[in-house]
Amino acid sequence: MSARPDPLVRCTDVARTYGAGRAAVVAVHGASCEVDAGEGIAIVGPSGSGKSTLLHLMAGLDDPTTGTISWPALGDRSALRPRLVGVVFQGPSLLASLDVEENVALPLVLGGADPALAAEGARIALAQLDLDDVARSLPEELSGGQAQRAAVARVLAARPRLILADEPTGQLDHVTGARVMDALLATASETGAALVVSTHDADVAERLGRQWQIADGKLLGVDRREAPCSA
Amino acid sequence: MLGLTWLRGLVARRPGRLAATAAGVAVAVALLASIGLFLSASKASMTQRAVARVPVDWQVEAQPGADPSTVLSTTKATSGVKAALPVGYASTTGSTSTTGGSNHTVGPGVALGLPDSYATTFPGELRSLAGPTQGVLVSQQAAADLRIAPGDVIAIGRPGLDPALVPVDGVVALPEANSLFQKVGVPPSAQPQAPPDNVVLLPEAQWHQIFDPLAQSRPDLVRTQVHARVSHALPGDPSAAFNQVTTSAHNLEARLAGTGLVGNNLGATLDAARSDALYAQVLFLFLGLPGAVLAALLTLAVAGAGAERRRREQALLRTRGATTRRLVQLGLLEAAVVGGVGALVGLGAAVVVGRLAFGTASFGATTSAAVVSGAGAAITGVVIAGLAIALPAWRDARETTVAAGRQTVGRARAPRWFRYGVDFVLLAAAGIVFWLTGRNGYHLVLAPEGTPAISVSYWALAGPALFWAGAGLLTWRIAYTVLARGRSLVRRAARPVSGALSGTVAASMSRQRRLLARGVALVALTATFAIATAVFNDTYRAQAGIDARLTNGGDVSVTQAPGADIGPHGAARLARVPGVQRIEPIQHRFAYVGADLQDLYGVRTSTVVDATKLQNSYFQGGTARDLIGRLARQPNGVLVSAETARDFRLHTGDTITLRLQDSGTQQFKPVPFRFLGVAKEFPTAPRDSLLVANADYVAQQTGSFAVGAFLIDTGGASPKTVAQRVRDTVGTSATVTDVATSRRVVGSSLTAVDLSGLTRVELGFALVLAAASTGLVLGLGFAERRRTFAIAAALGARQRQLGGFVFTEATFVTLGGLLVGAVAGWGLSQMLVKVLTDVFDPPPDTLSVPWGYLAAVVAVAVAAVAAASLAVIRRTARPAISVLRDL
Repeated sequence: MSARPDPLVRCTDVARTYGAGRAAVVAVHGASCEVDAGEGIAIVGPSGSGKSTLLHLMAGLDDPTTGTISWPALGDRSALRPRLVGVVFQGPSLLASLDVEENVALPLVLGGADPALAAEGARIALAQLDLDDVARSLPEELSGGQAQRAAVARVLAARPRLILADEPTGQLDHVTGARVMDALLATASETGAALVVSTHDADVAERLGRQWQIADGKLLGVDRREAPCSA
Repeated sequence: MLGLTWLRGLVARRPGRLAATAAGVAVAVALLASIGLFLSASKASMTQRAVARVPVDWQVEAQPGADPSTVLSTTKATSGVKAALPVGYASTTGSTSTTGGSNHTVGPGVALGLPDSYATTFPGELRSLAGPTQGVLVSQQAAADLRIAPGDVIAIGRPGLDPALVPVDGVVALPEANSLFQKVGVPPSAQPQAPPDNVVLLPEAQWHQIFDPLAQSRPDLVRTQVHARVSHALPGDPSAAFNQVTTSAHNLEARLAGTGLVGNNLGATLDAARSDALYAQVLFLFLGLPGAVLAALLTLAVAGAGAERRRREQALLRTRGATTRRLVQLGLLEAAVVGGVGALVGLGAAVVVGRLAFGTASFGATTSAAVVSGAGAAITGVVIAGLAIALPAWRDARETTVAAGRQTVGRARAPRWFRYGVDFVLLAAAGIVFWLTGRNGYHLVLAPEGTPAISVSYWALAGPALFWAGAGLLTWRIAYTVLARGRSLVRRAARPVSGALSGTVAASMSRQRRLLARGVALVALTATFAIATAVFNDTYRAQAGIDARLTNGGDVSVTQAPGADIGPHGAARLARVPGVQRIEPIQHRFAYVGADLQDLYGVRTSTVVDATKLQNSYFQGGTARDLIGRLARQPNGVLVSAETARDFRLHTGDTITLRLQDSGTQQFKPVPFRFLGVAKEFPTAPRDSLLVANADYVAQQTGSFAVGAFLIDTGGASPKTVAQRVRDTVGTSATVTDVATSRRVVGSSLTAVDLSGLTRVELGFALVLAAASTGLVLGLGFAERRRTFAIAAALGARQRQLGGFVFTEATFVTLGGLLVGAVAGWGLSQMLVKVLTDVFDPPPDTLSVPWGYLAAVVAVAVAAVAAASLAVIRRTARPAISVLRDL
């Protein structure tokens, strides 16, 4: 029997509390979980249940109040972004002073890629999401849906090993949302990356291999195949 | 209610931006009010100094046939007159003396009859050179010509009567001889060209004894004046003081009903001071307003840095039903609070600055003027706040859609002025106005002597003002164009700082070119202001030093007593005094040019230029070296004043015959000279009445090598200290003066006004503005883009990479602004000094550049930018997602 490969991310009894005293808000409480390479996971739960916070913790964008997070297969936290972990944010996240192509190429450039190659990678990713015609547009000239697709393209262009997408289809119509998910899944499949998506949308969740339920900051082990977490 | 809620929210959530905007208003108000304080203090100082320089305020001349005692009593009874004494004037045919076995004679002169208390009542009129200031006194020139000293006897010639023999008690100088011997009641142009040289001052009783007989036979040669001292409790403003004194003098003349005319010396001095006061006002406009305008622009920039956020907030309010009126009301409320707080803080700061720098906390010479000035500065502050906050709020509310309000960058479109070339128009207009002003000889203040009307050509201010504004807009254009069309250039320039990100950084900068171009223009305007102000002030200070040196001759001057016959060898004794580095002997003689007695200076052409630091502006038709070089090549050459050259219609190469006193015969004899050029000024010389020649030629022709003065260069050692040592060495055989004392004593009231307080205030404000235009504006701009940096950090940008963005922008704005500002500052300095030529006496040959201060400006700007940049970068160390959550 071959040894199980190291997970991409491992959370051990992680909690995240905002504020202090009586104003303290516990966003995530005692979450333990792992994500392996190639997995597709949907984190499902109502608004304010802690989905985004958990994603941000897994991306290394935030520090847990208690517990530990590690990235055994990816290495040190400082090396995660921009090449190993890609994040699709829920809100507007394009840089206003760069056009769409420059925005999409930015993680590649930040990762040290040659600017010309980065631009080429950006164009491919944009084509994948039918955004070729707005490559030279400024973010404020895009519709909300276009901006969200551009943010997804930015992650696809970097071809990370772990994709964390926070409500990537939240602002999109059903058809466009489906296309975005197609692109994310195709990229994950092609690169062997793990894809973790937080969503309200049951259809989106259905397209991923596993589902984690979260409520009031607690991660519940409701999964079709196995309980991934202890909470 | 909504207003209060809105305000509470602003105070709670945006305290930094509110404080920064209020600080900008405060700086503008403080600068305006501080310079207003300077204006008020300097005007009062001008009046005081002008009044203090007048030894006799009024000379009331009894008209022929009038009873002098009635004139005296009427004068004494005049309101404001503190003291009045009768002074007799009698014309003499000359004086003779017999000393050393030979007779000496001087020509016609005047004998004054003075009461015993005259010297104490009017202490500035007589200066003792030898002996007491009472008894029979002889003027310095007469004593020199008669070769007499206290104790000798002279014979005073009386027309048609026997000479009167009197023993001499002392020798005096008459520093205000021009006014003492003025023709009362005639305009300045009809006054004698020079006061008499042969003056004898007699005690009142003795004068009557000698000249009452003359009054009987020749009443036209004897007259009486009443010299009066009036109250110096005058308004601080020289113009108001002039009006008060003039009205009072007219009142006296009316009451004298034709029996006396008033020579109003005090009024004449205040007349000159009021034009100087207008120059001070011009300085206020030149040096103060640009700073206030700059502070206002910075306030607009500070408020503008938060414009995007305000537009987004407005958009949110509008989506919830807020009307345009409501949005404008909120803007006005915010502006009122910010403007009010800024104005109060600014006025408070000005009071502190005024006390420290000018010793006054009053904004005006009178209470009403103080209220108007203070209120004016405060209203200016509120208006600035309104322009910065309420106006954009109103404009956005009227012209911006909700969707547009959410935009942050937008396609940069050049503003209208850019497309119409307004910057070029302004610069061209500046050049035309400057040229037109130059045709008028840069005379800004027109103050015809004696007339109440006085005017300032404020039009001349337009030249520098248009240049400054044009330079600012041109800077904006250059920066904008470079960012729009020179992206590859920016990318290459950014590579050392941004590395592989340089292309991205260049693209980002290009999209924000309006913001960055505005930043560059602000830095350039600040640098231009700081440079022009500093150069002007430094040049002014240098010229004040040159003025004092021109009067004193050297760091220390040793003037021989009348009759002394010490040759150049006398320098050897002085050379041994510690602190004396170099000594330049200057011959001082008198020579008749036609009927005019003028001062003749014999110089050593090989050393005089460097030793006395002769300025090119002292000469006409060439540099100092050119003119002195001509003297060196032509032993009998002479330089004369412009007035003499004009009066005698001299052309270069003409022979001019002067009459110099022969040391052997003591008689004036004709000596031929060749006219070589014009000397407008010369160290220790009176203006418009001087001659400069070769010392050797003068000595050879007169048979005397006597030196009138030794000018000492202390080489940096304290002139006062060295002067005291020299005094200890020479005793009473010579008069010793130093340049530091002269600086305080001489000069017009304007140059005597100490600009150092104003300089400190202005240069201090310039430093504050430099820090604000760079660090504060950039810092707030960066702060406004925290979201951008947080997103970049969330995407994986390292601090070093974010630093690339920040430092490239900061370097572009700072370096670009400082470079263009340096060029524009140089140009504006040239314009300012030219336009304000009349302020300088003498006009400067070159500009003085305070390199140390300018280095400090650059250092402050760089430090402010570095601090702002590092603060932004340090904040990116926070987890990006928590920053995004807070925004």
